[in-house]
Amino acid sequence: MGNEAGKPSIITSSLDFLVNWGRTNSLWPFPYGTACCAIEFMSTEVGRYDLSRIGSEYVRFTPRQSDVLLVAGTITYKQAPILKRIYEQMAEPRWVIAMGACASSGGFYDCYCTVPGIDHIIPVDVYIGGCPSRPEAFFDAMFDLQKKIKDESYMKQRAERVKEQIEMIKAKTAEAKANAKAFAQEKVVDIKDFVVEKEQNLVKKAQFWKE
Amino acid sequence: MSAENIFSTLEEKFGAKRETLDKWGVTAVVSGAYLRNVVQFLKDSTEEKFDMLVDIAGIDYLTYPNHEGPRFAVSYAFKSIKTPGARIRLKVLVGEDSLKVPTISDLYANANWYEREVYDQFGIVFEGHPDLRRLLNHVEFVGHPLRKDYPAQKRQWLSTNDYLLPELEKRLETLGYKVIQRSKEVEPNDDEFLEGSVKA
Repeated sequence: MGNEAGKPSIITSSLDFLVNWGRTNSLWPFPYGTACCAIEFMSTEVGRYDLSRIGSEYVRFTPRQSDVLLVAGTITYKQAPILKRIYEQMAEPRWVIAMGACASSGGFYDCYCTVPGIDHIIPVDVYIGGCPSRPEAFFDAMFDLQKKIKDESYMKQRAERVKEQIEMIKAKTAEAKANAKAFAQEKVVDIKDFVVEKEQNLVKKAQFWKE
Repeated sequence: MSAENIFSTLEEKFGAKRETLDKWGVTAVVSGAYLRNVVQFLKDSTEEKFDMLVDIAGIDYLTYPNHEGPRFAVSYAFKSIKTPGARIRLKVLVGEDSLKVPTISDLYANANWYEREVYDQFGIVFEGHPDLRRLLNHVEFVGHPLRKDYPAQKRQWLSTNDYLLPELEKRLETLGYKVIQRSKEVEPNDDEFLEGSVKA
Protein backbone atom coordinates (compact mmCIF):
# COMPACT_ATOMS: atom_id res chain seq x y z
CA MET A 1 0.00 0.00 0.00
CA GLY A 2 1.06 3.57 -0.55
CA ASN A 3 3.40 2.86 -3.44
CA GLU A 4 0.63 2.08 -5.89
CA ALA A 5 -0.66 5.66 -5.90
CA GLY A 6 2.76 7.07 -6.69
CA LYS A 7 3.22 4.94 -9.81
CA PRO A 8 2.34 6.57 -13.13
CA SER A 9 -0.59 4.89 -14.83
CA ILE A 10 -2.15 5.25 -18.27
CA ILE A 11 -5.70 4.60 -19.42
CA THR A 12 -6.53 4.55 -23.10
CA SER A 13 -10.06 5.42 -24.13
CA SER A 14 -11.99 7.35 -26.73
CA LEU A 15 -12.76 10.98 -25.94
CA ASP A 16 -16.45 10.40 -26.67
CA PHE A 17 -16.67 7.68 -24.06
CA LEU A 18 -14.88 9.76 -21.47
CA VAL A 19 -16.97 12.90 -22.05
CA ASN A 20 -20.23 10.97 -22.07
CA TRP A 21 -19.22 9.12 -18.91
CA GLY A 22 -18.64 12.45 -17.21
CA ARG A 23 -21.89 13.94 -18.47
CA THR A 24 -24.13 10.98 -17.62
CA ASN A 25 -22.95 10.76 -14.04
CA SER A 26 -23.21 14.40 -13.06
CA LEU A 27 -26.58 15.60 -14.35
CA TRP A 28 -27.42 18.60 -12.23
CA PRO A 29 -31.12 19.41 -12.42
CA PHE A 30 -32.74 22.82 -12.38
CA PRO A 31 -36.18 22.32 -10.80
CA TYR A 32 -38.79 24.50 -12.52
CA GLY A 33 -41.53 23.40 -10.17
CA THR A 34 -44.94 25.02 -10.50
CA ALA A 35 -47.31 22.35 -9.18
CA CYS A 36 -47.59 19.04 -7.32
CA CYS A 37 -44.96 17.28 -9.50
CA ALA A 38 -42.36 19.43 -7.77
CA ILE A 39 -43.38 17.86 -4.44
CA GLU A 40 -42.78 14.43 -5.97
CA PHE A 41 -39.39 15.64 -7.15
CA MET A 42 -38.57 16.64 -3.56
CA SER A 43 -39.30 13.13 -2.37
CA THR A 44 -37.14 11.79 -5.23
CA GLU A 45 -34.31 13.97 -4.04
CA VAL A 46 -34.34 13.06 -0.32
CA GLY A 47 -33.20 9.95 1.51
CA ARG A 48 -35.87 7.35 0.71
CA TYR A 49 -35.33 7.44 -3.06
CA ASP A 50 -32.07 9.40 -3.15
CA LEU A 51 -31.44 10.83 -6.59
CA SER A 52 -27.77 11.42 -5.75
CA ARG A 53 -27.15 7.69 -6.29
CA ILE A 54 -27.01 8.38 -10.02
CA GLY A 55 -24.98 11.56 -9.69
CA SER A 56 -27.75 14.14 -9.74
CA GLU A 57 -26.52 15.27 -6.41
CA TYR A 58 -26.93 19.00 -6.57
CA VAL A 59 -30.13 20.77 -7.35
CA ARG A 60 -28.99 24.06 -8.84
CA PHE A 61 -31.28 27.03 -8.57
CA THR A 62 -29.53 28.94 -11.30
CA PRO A 63 -29.84 27.99 -14.97
CA ARG A 64 -26.16 28.79 -15.57
CA GLN A 65 -24.90 25.91 -13.44
CA SER A 66 -27.38 23.20 -14.38
CA ASP A 67 -27.55 20.57 -17.13
CA VAL A 68 -31.14 19.34 -16.99
CA LEU A 69 -34.17 21.63 -16.99
CA LEU A 70 -36.83 19.78 -15.06
CA VAL A 71 -40.25 21.27 -15.82
CA ALA A 72 -42.51 19.92 -13.10
CA GLY A 73 -45.97 21.40 -13.23
CA THR A 74 -48.53 23.40 -15.18
CA ILE A 75 -47.18 26.12 -17.47
CA THR A 76 -49.58 28.97 -18.14
CA TYR A 77 -49.33 31.47 -20.98
CA LYS A 78 -48.27 34.13 -18.49
CA GLN A 79 -45.32 31.93 -17.55
CA ALA A 80 -44.27 30.74 -21.02
CA PRO A 81 -41.84 33.63 -21.76
CA ILE A 82 -40.16 33.10 -18.38
CA LEU A 83 -39.62 29.39 -19.06
CA LYS A 84 -38.23 30.17 -22.50
CA ARG A 85 -35.83 32.72 -21.08
CA ILE A 86 -34.59 30.29 -18.45
CA TYR A 87 -33.97 27.65 -21.13
CA GLU A 88 -32.01 30.18 -23.18
CA GLN A 89 -29.91 31.08 -20.16
CA MET A 90 -28.72 27.49 -19.69
CA ALA A 91 -25.27 26.61 -21.02
CA GLU A 92 -24.94 23.80 -23.57
CA PRO A 93 -25.08 20.82 -23.38
CA ARG A 94 -28.58 21.05 -21.93
CA TRP A 95 -31.48 18.65 -21.70
CA VAL A 96 -35.14 19.03 -20.77
CA ILE A 97 -37.43 16.67 -18.90
CA ALA A 98 -41.19 17.30 -19.01
CA MET A 99 -42.47 15.81 -15.76
CA GLY A 100 -46.13 14.89 -15.41
CA ALA A 101 -49.23 15.25 -17.57
CA CYS A 102 -49.42 19.06 -17.37
CA ALA A 103 -45.91 19.76 -18.60
CA SER A 104 -46.14 17.07 -21.29
CA SER A 105 -49.56 17.87 -22.75
CA GLY A 106 -51.37 20.44 -20.62
CA GLY A 107 -53.11 17.64 -18.71
CA PHE A 108 -56.77 18.18 -18.01
CA TYR A 109 -56.42 21.98 -18.28
CA ASP A 110 -57.89 22.21 -21.77
CA CYS A 111 -58.59 25.93 -21.54
CA TYR A 112 -57.58 29.45 -22.46
CA CYS A 113 -54.79 29.83 -19.90
CA THR A 114 -52.65 26.67 -20.05
CA VAL A 115 -49.95 25.84 -22.59
CA PRO A 116 -50.79 22.42 -24.14
CA GLY A 117 -47.37 20.89 -23.55
CA ILE A 118 -44.06 22.70 -23.09
CA ASP A 119 -42.82 21.36 -26.45
CA HIS A 120 -44.65 24.35 -27.95
CA ILE A 121 -41.97 26.52 -26.35
CA ILE A 122 -38.76 24.51 -25.89
CA PRO A 123 -37.42 21.13 -27.18
CA VAL A 124 -38.03 18.23 -24.80
CA ASP A 125 -35.84 15.12 -24.42
CA VAL A 126 -37.84 12.91 -22.05
CA TYR A 127 -41.53 12.96 -21.14
CA ILE A 128 -42.87 11.42 -17.93
CA GLY A 129 -46.55 10.49 -17.54
CA GLY A 130 -48.54 10.47 -14.34
CA CYS A 131 -50.45 13.02 -12.32
CA PRO A 132 -48.24 13.49 -10.42
CA SER A 133 -45.47 11.12 -11.53
CA ARG A 134 -44.05 8.65 -9.02
CA PRO A 135 -40.38 8.96 -8.00
CA GLU A 136 -39.79 5.60 -9.72
CA ALA A 137 -41.03 7.11 -12.99
CA PHE A 138 -38.65 9.98 -12.50
CA PHE A 139 -35.74 7.57 -12.04
CA ASP A 140 -36.79 5.77 -15.19
CA ALA A 141 -36.71 9.07 -17.07
CA MET A 142 -33.26 9.84 -15.72
CA PHE A 143 -32.01 6.43 -16.91
CA ASP A 144 -33.54 7.09 -20.33
CA LEU A 145 -31.79 10.43 -20.46
CA GLN A 146 -28.49 8.80 -19.47
CA LYS A 147 -28.92 6.28 -22.29
CA LYS A 148 -29.60 9.11 -24.69
CA ILE A 149 -26.51 11.00 -23.57
CA LYS A 150 -24.36 7.87 -23.95
CA ASP A 151 -25.39 7.71 -27.62
CA GLU A 152 -24.29 11.26 -28.29
CA SER A 153 -20.89 11.91 -29.84
CA TYR A 154 -18.94 14.83 -28.52
CA MET A 155 -16.43 14.75 -31.41
CA LYS A 156 -19.19 14.66 -34.00
CA GLN A 157 -20.98 17.65 -32.44
CA ARG A 158 -17.68 19.48 -32.24
CA ALA A 159 -16.91 18.74 -35.89
CA GLU A 160 -20.35 20.01 -36.90
CA ARG A 161 -19.88 23.13 -34.85
CA VAL A 162 -16.46 23.79 -36.41
CA LYS A 163 -17.92 23.20 -39.86
CA GLU A 164 -20.69 25.69 -39.16
CA GLN A 165 -18.16 28.22 -37.92
CA ILE A 166 -15.97 27.79 -40.99
CA GLU A 167 -18.97 28.26 -43.25
CA MET A 168 -19.98 31.33 -41.31
CA ILE A 169 -16.46 32.78 -41.59
CA LYS A 170 -16.42 32.06 -45.34
CA ALA A 171 -19.77 33.78 -45.80
CA LYS A 172 -18.62 36.77 -43.75
CA THR A 173 -15.39 37.12 -45.72
CA ALA A 174 -17.25 36.91 -49.03
CA GLU A 175 -19.66 39.58 -47.80
CA ALA A 176 -16.79 41.82 -46.65
CA LYS A 177 -15.00 41.33 -49.97
CA ALA A 178 -18.11 42.26 -51.93
CA ASN A 179 -18.58 45.32 -49.73
CA ALA A 180 -14.96 46.40 -50.24
CA LYS A 181 -15.27 45.91 -54.00
CA ALA A 182 -18.43 47.99 -54.19
CA PHE A 183 -16.83 50.69 -52.07
CA ALA A 184 -13.71 50.77 -54.28
CA GLN A 185 -15.86 50.99 -57.42
CA GLU A 186 -17.78 53.88 -55.94
CA LYS A 187 -14.51 55.64 -55.17
CA VAL A 188 -13.23 55.08 -58.73
CA VAL A 189 -16.46 56.48 -60.17
CA ASP A 190 -16.21 59.48 -57.83
CA ILE A 191 -12.61 60.20 -58.88
CA LYS A 192 -13.54 59.85 -62.55
CA ASP A 193 -16.40 62.31 -62.12
CA PHE A 194 -14.09 64.69 -60.30
CA VAL A 195 -11.47 64.54 -63.07
CA VAL A 196 -14.09 65.02 -65.80
CA GLU A 197 -15.50 68.04 -63.97
CA LYS A 198 -12.03 69.58 -63.61
CA GLU A 199 -11.31 69.07 -67.30
CA GLN A 200 -14.60 70.71 -68.28
CA ASN A 201 -13.83 73.65 -65.97
CA LEU A 202 -10.40 74.05 -67.56
CA VAL A 203 -11.88 73.94 -71.05
CA LYS A 204 -14.45 76.59 -70.05
CA LYS A 205 -11.74 78.78 -68.54
CA ALA A 206 -9.59 78.42 -71.62
CA GLN A 207 -12.53 79.37 -73.85
CA PHE A 208 -13.27 82.38 -71.64
CA TRP A 209 -9.72 83.67 -71.83
CA LYS A 210 -9.62 83.07 -75.56
CA GLU A 211 -12.68 85.20 -76.01
CA MET B 1 -81.42 43.21 13.89
CA SER B 2 -82.82 40.16 12.22
CA ALA B 3 -82.52 39.31 8.55
CA GLU B 4 -86.17 40.31 7.92
CA ASN B 5 -85.53 43.72 9.45
CA ILE B 6 -82.45 44.30 7.34
CA PHE B 7 -84.24 43.36 4.14
CA SER B 8 -87.26 45.54 4.95
CA THR B 9 -84.96 48.51 5.67
CA LEU B 10 -83.11 47.90 2.43
CA GLU B 11 -86.41 47.82 0.57
CA GLU B 12 -87.66 51.01 2.22
CA LYS B 13 -84.47 53.02 2.01
CA PHE B 14 -82.79 51.89 -1.19
CA GLY B 15 -85.49 50.16 -3.20
CA ALA B 16 -83.76 46.78 -3.05
CA LYS B 17 -85.59 43.59 -3.94
CA ARG B 18 -85.22 40.21 -2.31
CA GLU B 19 -84.01 37.56 -4.74
CA THR B 20 -86.61 34.82 -5.10
CA LEU B 21 -84.32 32.29 -6.74
CA ASP B 22 -81.93 32.23 -3.79
CA LYS B 23 -82.28 28.99 -1.83
CA TRP B 24 -81.31 30.58 1.50
CA GLY B 25 -83.06 33.89 0.93
CA VAL B 26 -80.09 36.09 1.82
CA THR B 27 -79.69 37.92 -1.47
CA ALA B 28 -80.83 41.45 -2.22
CA VAL B 29 -80.88 42.87 -5.73
CA VAL B 30 -79.65 46.47 -5.61
CA SER B 31 -79.37 49.05 -8.36
CA GLY B 32 -75.86 50.24 -9.17
CA ALA B 33 -76.59 53.84 -8.15
CA TYR B 34 -77.40 52.85 -4.54
CA LEU B 35 -74.68 50.19 -4.14
CA ARG B 36 -72.21 52.32 -2.20
CA ASN B 37 -74.95 53.61 0.14
CA VAL B 38 -76.19 50.07 0.78
CA VAL B 39 -72.69 48.79 1.52
CA GLN B 40 -72.01 51.75 3.81
CA PHE B 41 -75.30 51.09 5.60
CA LEU B 42 -74.53 47.38 6.05
CA LYS B 43 -71.04 48.14 7.31
CA ASP B 44 -71.83 50.93 9.78
CA SER B 45 -75.51 51.15 10.67
CA THR B 46 -76.62 47.55 11.11
CA GLU B 47 -76.28 45.78 14.44
CA GLU B 48 -74.21 42.94 12.95
CA LYS B 49 -71.79 45.28 11.19
CA PHE B 50 -70.95 43.28 8.08
CA ASP B 51 -67.24 44.10 8.20
CA MET B 52 -65.87 41.26 6.10
CA LEU B 53 -66.10 41.11 2.31
CA VAL B 54 -65.91 37.44 1.43
CA ASP B 55 -66.08 37.56 -2.34
CA ILE B 56 -67.05 39.49 -5.43
CA ALA B 57 -68.16 37.37 -8.35
CA GLY B 58 -69.22 38.19 -11.87
CA ILE B 59 -72.11 36.35 -13.55
CA ASP B 60 -72.89 36.06 -17.24
CA TYR B 61 -76.53 35.10 -17.89
CA LEU B 62 -76.09 34.64 -21.65
CA THR B 63 -76.88 30.92 -21.73
CA TYR B 64 -78.89 30.82 -18.50
CA PRO B 65 -82.31 29.20 -19.05
CA ASN B 66 -85.42 31.42 -18.73
CA HIS B 67 -83.47 34.53 -17.83
CA GLU B 68 -84.88 37.96 -18.51
CA GLY B 69 -83.20 41.28 -17.95
CA PRO B 70 -79.60 42.49 -18.08
CA ARG B 71 -76.92 40.09 -19.24
CA PHE B 72 -74.33 40.53 -16.48
CA ALA B 73 -74.47 40.68 -12.71
CA VAL B 74 -71.94 41.34 -9.96
CA SER B 75 -72.51 39.50 -6.71
CA TYR B 76 -71.07 40.64 -3.36
CA ALA B 77 -70.88 38.35 -0.33
CA PHE B 78 -70.58 39.91 3.12
CA LYS B 79 -70.07 38.28 6.49
CA SER B 80 -70.20 39.53 10.03
CA ILE B 81 -67.32 38.82 12.38
CA LYS B 82 -69.22 40.07 15.42
CA THR B 83 -72.23 37.79 14.88
CA PRO B 84 -71.02 34.45 13.55
CA GLY B 85 -73.21 33.07 10.82
CA ALA B 86 -74.70 36.40 9.76
CA ARG B 87 -74.29 36.67 6.03
CA ILE B 88 -75.80 38.76 3.28
CA ARG B 89 -75.38 38.94 -0.46
CA LEU B 90 -75.91 41.86 -2.78
CA LYS B 91 -76.46 41.55 -6.49
CA VAL B 92 -76.10 44.36 -9.01
CA LEU B 93 -77.49 43.74 -12.48
CA VAL B 94 -75.36 45.21 -15.25
CA GLY B 95 -76.57 45.71 -18.80
CA GLU B 96 -74.40 44.96 -21.80
CA ASP B 97 -74.59 48.58 -22.98
CA SER B 98 -73.30 50.27 -19.81
CA LEU B 99 -71.03 47.68 -18.06
CA LYS B 100 -70.33 50.05 -15.17
CA VAL B 101 -70.51 49.52 -11.42
CA PRO B 102 -69.26 51.91 -8.70
CA THR B 103 -66.23 50.64 -6.82
CA ILE B 104 -66.27 49.74 -3.13
CA SER B 105 -62.49 49.41 -2.88
CA ASP B 106 -62.31 52.47 -0.60
CA LEU B 107 -64.74 50.81 1.84
CA TYR B 108 -63.17 47.34 1.77
CA ALA B 109 -59.46 47.14 0.92
CA ASN B 110 -59.66 43.58 -0.41
CA ALA B 111 -62.29 44.64 -2.96
CA ASN B 112 -59.40 46.12 -4.97
CA TRP B 113 -58.16 42.77 -6.27
CA TYR B 114 -61.64 41.18 -6.46
CA GLU B 115 -62.77 43.99 -8.72
CA ARG B 116 -59.66 43.64 -10.84
CA GLU B 117 -60.42 39.94 -11.24
CA VAL B 118 -64.04 40.58 -12.26
CA TYR B 119 -62.84 43.23 -14.71
CA ASP B 120 -60.28 40.80 -16.13
CA GLN B 121 -62.67 37.89 -16.58
CA PHE B 122 -65.93 39.69 -17.50
CA GLY B 123 -64.92 43.17 -18.67
CA ILE B 124 -67.13 44.98 -16.14
CA VAL B 125 -65.64 48.40 -15.37
CA PHE B 126 -65.57 49.54 -11.76
CA GLU B 127 -65.84 53.32 -11.69
CA GLY B 128 -63.44 55.07 -9.31
CA HIS B 129 -61.14 52.06 -8.92
CA PRO B 130 -57.56 53.26 -8.25
CA ASP B 131 -55.77 50.71 -10.43
CA LEU B 132 -58.06 48.76 -12.75
CA ARG B 133 -55.79 46.34 -14.63
CA ARG B 134 -55.91 42.66 -15.50
CA LEU B 135 -55.12 40.41 -12.57
CA LEU B 136 -55.03 36.80 -13.77
CA ASN B 137 -54.56 36.99 -17.53
CA HIS B 138 -51.51 38.51 -19.15
CA VAL B 139 -51.27 42.05 -20.51
CA GLU B 140 -51.60 41.13 -24.18
CA PHE B 141 -54.77 39.08 -23.68
CA VAL B 142 -57.63 40.16 -25.93
CA GLY B 143 -61.19 39.61 -24.68
CA HIS B 144 -62.63 38.40 -21.40
CA PRO B 145 -62.42 34.62 -20.99
CA LEU B 146 -65.26 33.90 -18.52
CA ARG B 147 -67.88 35.45 -20.76
CA LYS B 148 -70.05 32.73 -22.23
CA ASP B 149 -69.35 33.85 -25.82
CA TYR B 150 -65.57 33.52 -25.40
CA PRO B 151 -64.42 30.20 -26.94
CA ALA B 152 -63.02 28.34 -23.93
CA GLN B 153 -60.15 26.76 -25.86
CA LYS B 154 -59.00 29.93 -27.64
CA ARG B 155 -55.38 30.38 -26.62
CA GLN B 156 -53.36 33.57 -26.71
CA TRP B 157 -49.58 33.75 -26.50
CA LEU B 158 -47.62 36.34 -24.57
CA SER B 159 -44.51 37.85 -26.19
CA THR B 160 -42.69 39.15 -23.14
CA ASN B 161 -43.01 38.55 -19.43
CA ASP B 162 -44.69 41.14 -17.24
CA TYR B 163 -42.14 43.44 -15.71
CA LEU B 164 -43.43 44.68 -12.38
CA LEU B 165 -40.46 46.69 -11.08
CA PRO B 166 -41.49 50.17 -12.33
CA GLU B 167 -44.82 49.86 -10.58
CA LEU B 168 -43.15 48.63 -7.40
CA GLU B 169 -40.86 51.65 -7.46
CA LYS B 170 -43.84 54.00 -7.79
CA ARG B 171 -45.47 52.34 -4.82
CA LEU B 172 -42.30 52.56 -2.75
CA GLU B 173 -42.09 56.27 -3.50
CA THR B 174 -45.60 56.84 -2.21
CA LEU B 175 -44.55 55.08 1.01
CA GLY B 176 -41.69 57.55 1.44
CA TYR B 177 -38.76 55.52 0.09
CA LYS B 178 -36.24 57.04 -2.28
CA VAL B 179 -35.58 55.23 -5.57
CA ILE B 180 -31.91 55.55 -6.51
CA GLN B 181 -31.94 53.76 -9.85
CA ARG B 182 -35.10 53.55 -11.93
CA SER B 183 -35.78 50.52 -14.12
CA LYS B 184 -37.18 50.84 -17.61
CA GLU B 185 -40.53 49.60 -18.80
CA VAL B 186 -40.25 46.56 -21.08
CA GLU B 187 -42.06 47.09 -24.35
CA PRO B 188 -43.52 44.01 -26.10
CA ASN B 189 -41.39 43.13 -29.09
CA ASP B 190 -43.11 41.76 -32.19
CA ASP B 191 -39.96 39.89 -33.30
CA GLU B 192 -39.87 37.92 -30.08
CA PHE B 193 -43.41 36.62 -30.44
CA LEU B 194 -43.61 32.91 -29.77
CA GLU B 195 -44.85 30.40 -32.27
CA GLY B 196 -48.63 30.17 -32.56
CA SER B 197 -49.18 33.75 -31.47
CA VAL B 198 -52.52 35.40 -32.13
CA LYS B 199 -50.76 38.53 -33.40
CA ALA B 200 -48.69 36.75 -36.05
